[in-house]
Amino acid sequence: MSESVQQLLMWLIPGAPLTAAILIALFGPKVLRGQSHWLCWLGIATAFGCSLALLTSITPEGFAVDPSQPAVVIGYEWIKVGSLDIRIDLRADAMTSIMLSMVTGVSLLVAIFGSGYMHHDPGYPRFFAAVSLFVFSMCMLVLAGSFLMLFVFWEAVGLCSYLLIGFWFRKPSAAAAAKKAFVVNRIGDFGLLMAMFLIWRTFGSLDFDWVLNSGSTEWQMIIGANRETITLICLCLFLGAMGKSAQFPLHVWLPDAMEGPTPVSALIHAATMVTAGVYLVARCTPLFVWAPTAQLVVAGVGAATALIAALTALMQYDLKRVMAYSTVSQLGFMFMALGAAAAGPEYVTPAVTAAMFHLFTHAFFKALLFLGSGSVMHSMGDVIDMRRFSGLRRVMPTTHWTFLAGAAALAGVPPLSGFFSKDDILASLSAGMTHGDHRLYFAIIFLVAVLTAVLTAFYTFRAYFMTFWGPEKFPEEAGAHPHEASPVMAIPLQILALLAISIGFIVGPLTHRFSSYLAHTMGLSETHPHLHWGLMLLSTAIAASGIYAAFVMYVRSPAKAEEARLRSGRLYDLSQNKFYFDEILTTLVVAPLRRLAALSVSFDRTVIDGAVDAVGRLPRLLSQAPARLHGGVVGNYALVMLLAATAAVVFVVQALGRQ
Amino acid sequence: MSHESIRTAVQLILPECILIGTVCVMFLTGPFLLGRNGQASPGLRHRWGALALLAIGAAAWQWWHTTPVAAIDGPFLSDGLSFTIRGIVLALGAVLVLAAWNQLDDRTSAECNACLLALLAGVNLTAAANDIITLFLGLELVSIPTYLLLYLPTRSRPAQEATIKYFLLSLFSSAMLVYGLALLYGATGTTMLPEIVELLKATSLTESPLLLIAAPLIAAGLGFRITAVPFHFYAPDVFQGVPAFMAALLSFIPKVVGFTALWRLTALTSRAAAESADAVSTYMASVLAVLAVLTMFIGNLMALRQSNLHRLLAYSSVAHGGYMLVGLLAGGGSSGVPGGAALLFYLAAYGFMTIGAFCILLAARRSGDSIRTIDELAGLGSSQPLAALVLSVFLFSLAGLPPTAGFLGKFNLFLAAWSSGVSGTRWLAVILAMNAAISAWYYLRLIGVMYLQSPQPSTADAPTRNLPAWIATAVCVAGTLGLFLVPQAVWDAALLATQ
Repeated sequence: MSESVQQLLMWLIPGAPLTAAILIALFGPKVLRGQSHWLCWLGIATAFGCSLALLTSITPEGFAVDPSQPAVVIGYEWIKVGSLDIRIDLRADAMTSIMLSMVTGVSLLVAIFGSGYMHHDPGYPRFFAAVSLFVFSMCMLVLAGSFLMLFVFWEAVGLCSYLLIGFWFRKPSAAAAAKKAFVVNRIGDFGLLMAMFLIWRTFGSLDFDWVLNSGSTEWQMIIGANRETITLICLCLFLGAMGKSAQFPLHVWLPDAMEGPTPVSALIHAATMVTAGVYLVARCTPLFVWAPTAQLVVAGVGAATALIAALTALMQYDLKRVMAYSTVSQLGFMFMALGAAAAGPEYVTPAVTAAMFHLFTHAFFKALLFLGSGSVMHSMGDVIDMRRFSGLRRVMPTTHWTFLAGAAALAGVPPLSGFFSKDDILASLSAGMTHGDHRLYFAIIFLVAVLTAVLTAFYTFRAYFMTFWGPEKFPEEAGAHPHEASPVMAIPLQILALLAISIGFIVGPLTHRFSSYLAHTMGLSETHPHLHWGLMLLSTAIAASGIYAAFVMYVRSPAKAEEARLRSGRLYDLSQNKFYFDEILTTLVVAPLRRLAALSVSFDRTVIDGAVDAVGRLPRLLSQAPARLHGGVVGNYALVMLLAATAAVVFVVQALGRQ
Repeated sequence: MSHESIRTAVQLILPECILIGTVCVMFLTGPFLLGRNGQASPGLRHRWGALALLAIGAAAWQWWHTTPVAAIDGPFLSDGLSFTIRGIVLALGAVLVLAAWNQLDDRTSAECNACLLALLAGVNLTAAANDIITLFLGLELVSIPTYLLLYLPTRSRPAQEATIKYFLLSLFSSAMLVYGLALLYGATGTTMLPEIVELLKATSLTESPLLLIAAPLIAAGLGFRITAVPFHFYAPDVFQGVPAFMAALLSFIPKVVGFTALWRLTALTSRAAAESADAVSTYMASVLAVLAVLTMFIGNLMALRQSNLHRLLAYSSVAHGGYMLVGLLAGGGSSGVPGGAALLFYLAAYGFMTIGAFCILLAARRSGDSIRTIDELAGLGSSQPLAALVLSVFLFSLAGLPPTAGFLGKFNLFLAAWSSGVSGTRWLAVILAMNAAISAWYYLRLIGVMYLQSPQPSTADAPTRNLPAWIATAVCVAGTLGLFLVPQAVWDAALLATQ
């Protein structure tokens, strides 16, 4: 494929959704109305087609020339003023094209599903405009060629997320959730900004091709001279990632974000945007390998998040919240894998590959699970409390089997996609346990990961059994006849289910397609991974035990669940109440901030406002004098002009005389 | 002057010849198309407007095919500066014709369009002048049609008052200018600009005391054009009394000629250009710096007080004159961002945003001439969403906020002043930034009025259709946003002009 065609493709990937977003925003409310989805579909489908073309076309050529180099860098030179040169660069390498294909593919399916789900909503065009805008921002985020661009679109996806969480902005809880997501993300953004300042100071540039290019000797000199700064940079970058990817203790916004429409939860808060943090850390691997401390922090925070979120998910009754905590937990898994790169240079690539592969498979099965929940919710008249319905498997057969496929993939049932990716993560953690300087640390993390995997299988199938098994029971909101999803909702579910089942088998460790493709990314190298039969057995056992426990408790003898609940007492309360994180944060962070804010308000009212009002009155006072001159009498005007000219002459004369 | 040299000179000003030719046709045939009692057939103005646009189009075509050449010997030259100024002026001249279209009455439209074209030609001639005589002629070719244009379209009392004020003060300033130019000739012994510039750079003030009086007088005369305080007094009164298209014209055209002439006489004003230690420019730079500071502050402070939109925009125009003076003073510095280029870029950006603002006030009117008071803007966001959005774009640009040309323009001016290496311009950069902050208050307040206040019941009539004004507005929106999104071409042209 010629270079110009490639450039066109790359501009079309973000360009098509952006065009769709603008057109829908302009014409949606008046002209398109119920037909708005067509434009959105068209835009995203174009982007998806171009992403696939990019995926297949560019990299082989790039491989041949220089395996570590990006395939394409194209820029639009915005303005060049003096030494200031502002360019908008798009940059694609293997990691980018995988992300692009995944993002646009899932987005397309979610947009199709959304047109059924959002049917009859008064904000129908607004929904599709925001989704298109999100796809544009997300594509630009992964296509960014510098930290600056990445940051701009990091904020843009945050904005889209805010708009979509608060989609039903008349509902107070939705508005509050949107605000919470935005504010919590600001903490992460602060980290990312600090990282950018430090990178600029250390490297003198924000371009990936310079900051992340470990090949040059000059780069290595910079790294050698600034080891502490590099660690600080990596910690700041990770703080940014923690905000966006909802890691402990910044994870509190994600469950609340479920106030948005379910397709949005599937797209933004499960499959794509929340993985941006993982993408950022994976992208910055060349920096992280020089900061083992940061890597240990990444792994530790990931493990803590995974465990806490899984424990919280155990006792939630809101189907979407179970999925939300599961997302947080799975993101923790990805970070654990990224941290495991600390084991040694030869373990970097497998660890990053494992994280990216889990990100990839997770996108499919988690989007599937969310859409399945959405389908249930749609049919149950917007009731999502699992205690109020059960036994849906006969009423909603398509939703049932697709949900089962997603749940099995999430639980890690072989040979579904989640099995392979989770197995890869366990493998890289076990490598950290047996190699490198931090064996004990990684041994603990490995144990946490295994425990979390058991819990994952348990809570996933708990949700599945509670929803689809047991006696048939519908809430009164569902009406007399709960209905199966319409085709426009069912088809995306089926496609995602097929992908969740097969994608791990097709591109996973059995064929090495994913890992050998991803290896052509800056900072990664070609490796020859082998299968870990022992771990695979362990994974299978984990999945089986979790599922069996859930089956026993929620299908065979529900009394056992009650008994376990009573016996666990405190722990149950903790899980049910999300470990009181919201409350803890409220007392520790929010309340002091509130008091500080109240103080600031009074300071602002009295001192600042007083000063500002005084300054504001000053111009008016000052303008009294000239205002008097502007009386409208021409003679005065001419006199002032003459006086001014004379004053100028006098000034020049006396200045000359002084010399 | 030989036949040959006349031919070369005319070759250099072909676009202006086209405009002046059309002006002659309009003046000569206009009266014959009126009826016996001076009545015109309805719709006659459309034909004159179309002819004016056609002439501008032809001039633009001619302009596009000129290649800038370095200085030559003769009354005119066609260098980068005149190329860029011509481009800006022809583009915005077409916008002004569209804005004037429906504000003219059928009887006088021939003369008005002719005056418009003549003054456009005047601006271009000023930019093409290589000689202080042609420079002055160009300036007067702008002033005299302006008087006519002020008087012809409306005969109301406020308009007459405005016309008289403008006429008297403009004459006064021209007198100061011509006196200054005469003394300049006396001091240097030549009328050719390049020679004057070279002489001024090297001459010490003590050697030629005539310059002591010449330079301030020239600055005062041109200060009137660029509405520098304290030569700005006419602006608010005149803007208030005249139709919207004339206010648009007055906010832009005099500034272009004023700054072009000042740039041509850069040896008078630029400290960096001085070769002798006490060349006249070292003193004049201080005088102009004081003028710039005064202009920015007084323009913005007075704008805060206004409730009439024309007056508000008049003071805003004064303040923008101050910003551009900063660019002029930073010019000739050694940095990578030439102040002259920043000034030219700002002129283009300012033209689109100020003319656009007046155009939308004209296009969105509900009755009468145009929207004139802030109260009439109340609730525009709900009654005319498109007009409110467009006006917001222009106000954002005037306040210097992205994503508009005004942001990039101010940014360039700031960069140029900050990095020019000429002493004192860093202070000007800081003052510029302060003033941009002050100005945001009264621009953004208008947006607040449009979107947050409820409309007054009396103004609920349907807007009058004014298609040409809408087209003019659309062009200005495209310019305002385009200069932000794809600024490189204009920036390159501005750079070319200052080399």
